[in-house]
Amino acid sequence: MIRTIASKEITLLLRDKSIFFWLLGLPIVFIVIFASIFSGAGTPSYTVPYYDADQSEASQQLLATLEGIDGFALESDADRSLEAQLAQIAEGRKTMLLVIPEGYGARLESGQQAELELHRDATQDAAVGPVLGVLEGIAGRYQEEQLRTVLTQVVPADELESLLASPLAIREIREQATQSDPIAQIVPGYTVMFVFYAMISMTTRFLKDRRSGMLSRLQGTTMKPYHYLTGMWIPHIVIVSIQAAVLLVFGRIVYGLELGSLPAIAAIVLALAICVTGLGLLLSMLASSENMAIGLVQVIALGGAILGGLWFPFDMLPAFVQTLGRFTPQYWAQQGMQDVLLRGGGLGDIWANLLILLGCGSLGLALAVAAFGRFARRAVG
Amino acid sequence: MTYLLEAEQVVKAYGSIQALKEASLQVREGVCFGLLGPNGAGKSTMMKLITGILQPDRGSIRVFGRDNRQQIDAIRSQVGYVPQEITLHDELSAVQNLRFLGQMQGVRGAELQRRLEEGLAQVGLTERAKDRVGTYSGGMKRRVNLLGALLHQPRLVILDEPTVGIDPQSRHLIFEMIRELRGRGTTIIYSTHYMEEVEALCDDVAIIDHGRVIAQDSLRGLLDQHASRTIYVEADGLEQAPAALAGVGEIAAKGRGWLLQSEEPIAIMAQLAARLAEQGKRVQALELQQPSLESVFLKLTGTQLRDG
Repeated sequence: MIRTIASKEITLLLRDKSIFFWLLGLPIVFIVIFASIFSGAGTPSYTVPYYDADQSEASQQLLATLEGIDGFALESDADRSLEAQLAQIAEGRKTMLLVIPEGYGARLESGQQAELELHRDATQDAAVGPVLGVLEGIAGRYQEEQLRTVLTQVVPADELESLLASPLAIREIREQATQSDPIAQIVPGYTVMFVFYAMISMTTRFLKDRRSGMLSRLQGTTMKPYHYLTGMWIPHIVIVSIQAAVLLVFGRIVYGLELGSLPAIAAIVLALAICVTGLGLLLSMLASSENMAIGLVQVIALGGAILGGLWFPFDMLPAFVQTLGRFTPQYWAQQGMQDVLLRGGGLGDIWANLLILLGCGSLGLALAVAAFGRFARRAVG
Repeated sequence: MTYLLEAEQVVKAYGSIQALKEASLQVREGVCFGLLGPNGAGKSTMMKLITGILQPDRGSIRVFGRDNRQQIDAIRSQVGYVPQEITLHDELSAVQNLRFLGQMQGVRGAELQRRLEEGLAQVGLTERAKDRVGTYSGGMKRRVNLLGALLHQPRLVILDEPTVGIDPQSRHLIFEMIRELRGRGTTIIYSTHYMEEVEALCDDVAIIDHGRVIAQDSLRGLLDQHASRTIYVEADGLEQAPAALAGVGEIAAKGRGWLLQSEEPIAIMAQLAARLAEQGKRVQALELQQPSLESVFLKLTGTQLRDG
């Protein structure tokens, strides 16, 4: 009886063309858009508008130094006056403007402190911060050069470098990362987000069966509630698993995403499918209409995407958001996928993630079984 | 007498709405049993209680001698239920829908295929069998809907208003199927609010109203017990003031003549014929009206509108 129901459901699902759009077409569009925006940008890229009022050899040297830094590009708007460009910042049409004031070169040459002005939109801290950091770094190098010039006259050459060396050295060590690419955030992130939309099609099927009288009719046979729930559940597990697999393979083929351990990635995909569809069963028992289901799924999918670190690396989120995020299945799914994709993890490394996802799915199923009686009574209303 | 189905003092409420109030039914084996009642009378509720889709709040229901609270699976395997709604998947073909319903009733493999093909031929849908049901007319859907309950060859078939909204040809076909089922010894419970269907098909009838069975008997017995014995008379000069009819019983206008109710219609007819001849009124019609189920139904349930 379970097989009969499951077979019928698979046939119905495959004939529903809208499923292909919501579960595959739309996520692929999102992946392509965001991958196009962020991929190939292993390091951030900043374009810094500037206005050189000094036009001296020193200002040109400063600009050349800035141009030589990876990820930095300079941009000059020769057609606009300084006042006009500052007005653009005030109007929110420009984020910042680096101004080399007149007299910059002369002050440097005379040994006086020269100033650079970084005019900025006060609401754009995130965009301006890295630029400010670079400028302060350049200021530090100028200071070191000034010290070197003075000390050369009194300190022997073989002692000069050790005297100028900083007592603090910072060494960057990359741990357990087989690849570092926004694609490894985008592809699994949107895969996890969009599998939750399968809950809409699940709820639609259940409500349609109830509304049409089919559920009532089947209740007049020897069918038991667990036959019905299981028979309706299994096809959706299959569909969601295929959905996730297709999206990951898409990332592999189009963007070269390394999938890592196939058993591990398959396990996380299956656990995620069970989690999503188990919660989908529960939603189907509780939602009174398709509109209600759509609304709830939006909250679950989008809210979980934000809190679970699907759109941005989890570590970039505020502390309280991270705390909340750990209570979402999306967080555990994304972390599990990235453990496999980014850090070369195997089954042994993601057992906790699998357990939590399966636990969520089981909880959803158990609550759905408990709520089935009420759901079925509304079929015979 | 042993009955195939006995419902005793069944009570069922939906919240504050009492759908059935101590309703009792007895259905003999092998008959076509009409369950007649206006909208909202409790017919569908009774059918769902019989199939075990609902459970009664009080009272008992025994089918095939089994209590349907305790042995419902054994009962359901021998019952075919045709709901009032057309419960088919529009995206699937008739064959796919029927295969699904047949398998849910425990019929499989070659046997299911054989019954499918025979059934589709019987309802005249062999050529459209592989088309999506969504492309069917209402009558075609109703035929498939009915067929879905018969594939496992049940002993008892319960039909909840199976002819709603269909064409006369489909209705005729469904009637033929019901007669054939009855001829094979299958018991049928047929719910409807169309009197002529009950008169055409049913052996026994129960009239249900406001959740109570207010009359149950064979069709003939109901008519004999409750139908008025009515005479229709039409004569020249009788249109305006039927003084000639005074004292013969209750009279009511009908068309160009008059209806008279009487406990002794034959004697009254003779009396009327003589009286009208005396008065020189030429008789156009003088006949005994056949008792109708409609008159019984209206007499027992009243003529007030029922909006369910």
